[in-house]
Amino acid sequence: MKRSGPLLTLLGGLLLALFMLSLNATTGSRATSSSTTYDPPSAPAPASPSPSPTKVSPSPDPSPSPKPTPPADADYAGRTDDGSSAIAVTLRDGRAVAYFCDGRDKESWLKGDVEDDGGMKLTSKDGAELNGTVKGGSVRGTVDIGGREYGFTADRTIKPSGLYRATANVRGAEVDGGWIVLPDGGQVGILKRDGKPEAAPRIDPETGEVTVDGVRLTARPVTP
Amino acid sequence: MTVDPNAATQGFPSPHPVPARGPGATRYLVPALVACAVAVGLGVYGKAHDPAGTAFNLAGFSSTGAVKSWLATASFGFALVQLVSALMVYGKLPGPSWSAVLHRWSGRAAFLIAVPVAVHCLYALGFQTYEPRVLWHSVLGCFFFGVFSAKMLLLRSERLPGWLLPIVGGLVFAALTVVWLTSALWFFRTFGVTT
Repeated sequence: MKRSGPLLTLLGGLLLALFMLSLNATTGSRATSSSTTYDPPSAPAPASPSPSPTKVSPSPDPSPSPKPTPPADADYAGRTDDGSSAIAVTLRDGRAVAYFCDGRDKESWLKGDVEDDGGMKLTSKDGAELNGTVKGGSVRGTVDIGGREYGFTADRTIKPSGLYRATANVRGAEVDGGWIVLPDGGQVGILKRDGKPEAAPRIDPETGEVTVDGVRLTARPVTP
Repeated sequence: MTVDPNAATQGFPSPHPVPARGPGATRYLVPALVACAVAVGLGVYGKAHDPAGTAFNLAGFSSTGAVKSWLATASFGFALVQLVSALMVYGKLPGPSWSAVLHRWSGRAAFLIAVPVAVHCLYALGFQTYEPRVLWHSVLGCFFFGVFSAKMLLLRSERLPGWLLPIVGGLVFAALTVVWLTSALWFFRTFGVTT
């Protein structure tokens, strides 16, 4: 007697995987159709090239699923009111990730939810806090970090401006870099080697490539 | 009871037809090749495809990390049932007459729960190597689905050496354990046991 049960199990798993991939693919096309792209610009074909045999073919149907998620997914970047530091905020599906960076030694990654009215309160592991509101194409608010309060305005922006991060192990050191590419092309970033911060080398905003200690890394757009 | 030999490998990377009656080495070769193809295929996909960074989320959970950690924990729970029920099937532990059924269905549950987690990992995060935990997780995650495929295909063969299935099953269990330790346990220790 031949057992077909194991084969059915495998087939079931495969079908489930394909179903979920197709779900993801349509979710992705919804996000891109709302004028925000989060595919890294280095990708020549936006529809994820893949040699994998298990990859579902990217669904070409452009029908966006009508799911109201106020406020819309978008990227914001700008400076603090005193001009000392940069801030970038990325919104996706009601969640936000923000990066505060002075380009020398002070930085913080903040995360949290975005309310339907555009209000957000983001917090970081190191105790920093960002309170902001999305309104009319910009995020306005304050960041409390290191005992100081910074007011900021971050305007809506599009690639290559935005928020990037690269983490890697380079020659035995844990390297963690964060970059804010401002709408005017300026960059503010910090690179930490085993926790020690310093000004980060420039990334190529088109590809996200950056050379650290002779090793080429790719900084990727950050999403919540 | 016959099974269409070609239906078996439909959709799988290597279209080797499973022989109706495996003569000699083919019985081992096919599962081994399929396992390699699955594991390497997943790894290459995870490496070549640009991680989307995000994907679906489930209502009621704060983050995809939490969703995945709980799904992975459920899967690992079923895997523990697998270990116990396998010992019962082999008579190493006293067990009820339905321990084989229990083994079969808890295995299916563990596998099917693990699939969405793997899809999210490969789609949103990709195959990563930037620290040992992540490297082991990536490698063994791919290995798990490969060796699981091999186990399923081996079950169809008769007259296997008695030690083979326990060894392969043990590999499946060990791989899933390490995959869970390097992901869900790490998540719960880092971010707390949250939903």
